Amino acid sequence: MEQPEKLELLRSTESLPRAISELRACKIIPEPQVREICHKARELLIEEANVVQVDAPVTICGDIHGQFHDLMELFRVGGDVPDTNYLFMGDFVDRGFYSLESFLLLLCLKVRYPDRITLIRGNHESRQITTVYGFYDECLRKYGSANVWRYCCEVFDYLALGAIVLGTSSTLEPSFTDQSQAIEPVDDDVEIEIMNSRNEVTARFPRSRRPLFEPEALNSSPPGTPSKTGPSGTGATSDAGGSLQSGGGSVLCVHGGLSPLIDSVDKIRLLDRKQEVPHEGAMCDLLWSDPDEIDGWGLSPRGAGFLFGSDIVKRFNYLNDLSLIARAHQLVMEGFKEMFDSSIVTVWSAPNYCYRCGNVAAILELGEDTSNGGIISRSNGDAERSLQVLPTNDMPRSGPGRRYRVFEAAPQDPRGMPAKKPVADYFLINSPIAISIRTDFRLKDKEKFGGILELEDGEQESTGASEPEEIPVPDIKKGDVFII
Amino acid sequence: MAAPQIPNLNSLRNAHGAGRGRGRGQGGFSGPSSEEDKTTHDRIVQQTDQDASVSRLSAVEVGYLDDPFAKYFVSGEGQKRFPIINRGTYVRSKAIDNLVNKFLSHDPSQKKQIISLGAGSDTRFFRLMSAHPRANGIGYDRPNLIYHEIDFPENTIQKLLPSAKESDLCRHIAAPWYWSHSTNPTDPNAPADALHAGNYNVHPIDLRTLDPSRAPPRSFEYIEKDLPTLIISECCLCYLAPAASDTVALYFTQHLFPSTTPLGLILYEPIKPNDPFGKVMVSNLAARGIVLQTLRKYGSLEAQAARMKAYGFDGSGGADVNELWHQGVDEKEKERVAGLEMVDEVEEWELLAGHYCVVWGWRGEGWNGSKEMATQFSAGS
Repeated sequence: MEQPEKLELLRSTESLPRAISELRACKIIPEPQVREICHKARELLIEEANVVQVDAPVTICGDIHGQFHDLMELFRVGGDVPDTNYLFMGDFVDRGFYSLESFLLLLCLKVRYPDRITLIRGNHESRQITTVYGFYDECLRKYGSANVWRYCCEVFDYLALGAIVLGTSSTLEPSFTDQSQAIEPVDDDVEIEIMNSRNEVTARFPRSRRPLFEPEALNSSPPGTPSKTGPSGTGATSDAGGSLQSGGGSVLCVHGGLSPLIDSVDKIRLLDRKQEVPHEGAMCDLLWSDPDEIDGWGLSPRGAGFLFGSDIVKRFNYLNDLSLIARAHQLVMEGFKEMFDSSIVTVWSAPNYCYRCGNVAAILELGEDTSNGGIISRSNGDAERSLQVLPTNDMPRSGPGRRYRVFEAAPQDPRGMPAKKPVADYFLINSPIAISIRTDFRLKDKEKFGGILELEDGEQESTGASEPEEIPVPDIKKGDVFII
Repeated sequence: MAAPQIPNLNSLRNAHGAGRGRGRGQGGFSGPSSEEDKTTHDRIVQQTDQDASVSRLSAVEVGYLDDPFAKYFVSGEGQKRFPIINRGTYVRSKAIDNLVNKFLSHDPSQKKQIISLGAGSDTRFFRLMSAHPRANGIGYDRPNLIYHEIDFPENTIQKLLPSAKESDLCRHIAAPWYWSHSTNPTDPNAPADALHAGNYNVHPIDLRTLDPSRAPPRSFEYIEKDLPTLIISECCLCYLAPAASDTVALYFTQHLFPSTTPLGLILYEPIKPNDPFGKVMVSNLAARGIVLQTLRKYGSLEAQAARMKAYGFDGSGGADVNELWHQGVDEKEKERVAGLEMVDEVEEWELLAGHYCVVWGWRGEGWNGSKEMATQFSAGS
């Protein structure tokens, strides 16, 4: 354990704002400071529930994968912290070449503005995966030892597994940044608005009038389901009538998806999350599963988690009083993809993923329901639901008003030359660098899923802690990571 | 063509000393460019061969492929590749092995010939020669096959060094052996860049110099013009300008071999340069000085099929790597391979694998296996 008194340094000095500004410039910070920040972040995260409750308005983001410059573009497009509230659905690290800077910046922002930014765990926030997909190597390359990687992994273990967004609005608020231009007012009937990175509306979709699920699909609802679930954010069950659902309904955010072992949000709350991501089980599924056009459950081609169909999502949403599941995990070329009558959406926030996929990225803005004077009205489950029929209004509850901001990879260097872009791998014509430089690290078992991960001795104390003045410079070897 | 409008980064790359002088054929820029640019560009593309052998070794070490020879052709330390790259190496290798084995197993008593263009450090010759160890544990039943590799002298030197030195390799090369240095035959210290042995010929030739209007290179005397012959280009012809690539292919199909000789051709190349992934691929590679010159002309399976027709083949087949994985690998093997590593990059795999293809064409008799495989993958046939 680290000594708590060290944290005073962090609180009492300017070091956190300075760290943030260093990281914003894509510079790494000294190892002792990383250690402090990680420690402080763990103190915060340990207090968070497995399913963090988040109030709208909030901007939901998908995978970042160490694409630091694109994360900056995300903030440019979506608004800076703390002006905009953010919820990042995991996969901060791996693949991109700035996992450290990206993750540490997010972590610093979390420590600085704990209520403004929510981080939940992705399947790459794991010791095992980061040793395969780049984060481990990056730490070793930039700090000369695996200490920083280890500090980060300890933080990973404390990240929440999901979040639930309450108090969303069913209507769209006008876009926030547009002060110079007169914005046409957003029609109340607009459910989905898509904007580009220049803050221009590229598409609008009116609220769908068709029922969002077939009641028959629920006939097989599992026994033992409480007839009245509590407000989806609290886990309570109550016989009190409660007020009607807030405008846009509750949104569950999770990195991967659902699990056959989880039929209620409460069951997520019961998990013991403070561990390495297991190879199977509910916690693994939440981080690894994918929705697919199938009935029920299917095997995942990823080798972990499951595939789940529309029926699963609709039943889960209904039983848990959710209007939408937001998740990340899968590359979608258009940045976001709603499926199953908008009962689930994939949000992907790493444009031109791995510097080679050619995709755009998106973030999802959910507005705040101000219809009750800003007080969040929460449903305690209404009578109709216990009878397993649809509410009788002509407009079945649909999702919150959703604004997707779609953006492209950060612009290249203004001098017109390609920016310092890492080299992307292709078959046969691979980059000369790839992912080696793992000299002092061995997997005790053969490196495959299921193997046990251990570091060789002597690494723990190898560098840095006593030399805070020395800021390690990223080591860019010739022919290494960058072109130019 | 892509080259003229893309900024030339070669001069910048020079400062970083790119390239280890290992060669692979490639065409010059189609626009005007200096000799120095061409040399640099050659070197960059030549380096792709070392990349390929490193990828191969990575796939071998994880267990995708069984290739005891891969380690001899990687200089320095190996590097671990990402799982999708390993899987790509595996699928390509297996698909081509499959076609080669079908070719060899048809009428096994018939002597046959394989010509590998831009072979680089490919280990196929050694794998074929060692495929059938004798039951008594002594030696191998070698296929009735003459194997030719054609590449830049820089490449063949690197190929022949371990081949001469490592007993694991040289025991598969049948006597008589003639090692030589093609341009400096009198210097005893010059490293051999050419080999002519009983079952193995290494020709140090820049494919771009092949010209039907001139006499063939002398070493081509070792190529038997009437044997059923399979020509393989794994990411070789795609580095040439389209016209040069066609010239090389036609040189073999219409000039060197009489039309009565049964011929087959296997190409492994990228495709689909025009969708978002393809566009990024083209510009990323261009930024590294690699221009895949035939990509626009032969950017789809349909265009590749037409290409085979234009080369004078009676029939052709083709599939992208994604199809080769899904339909060409049996379920049990797929399960084994999928179990080797976590592949978290499922969507990315489909994208990447969809942008590479194996196409094959044939003429004359003895290509039942190729036909079968073409039927299996209906897209390109």
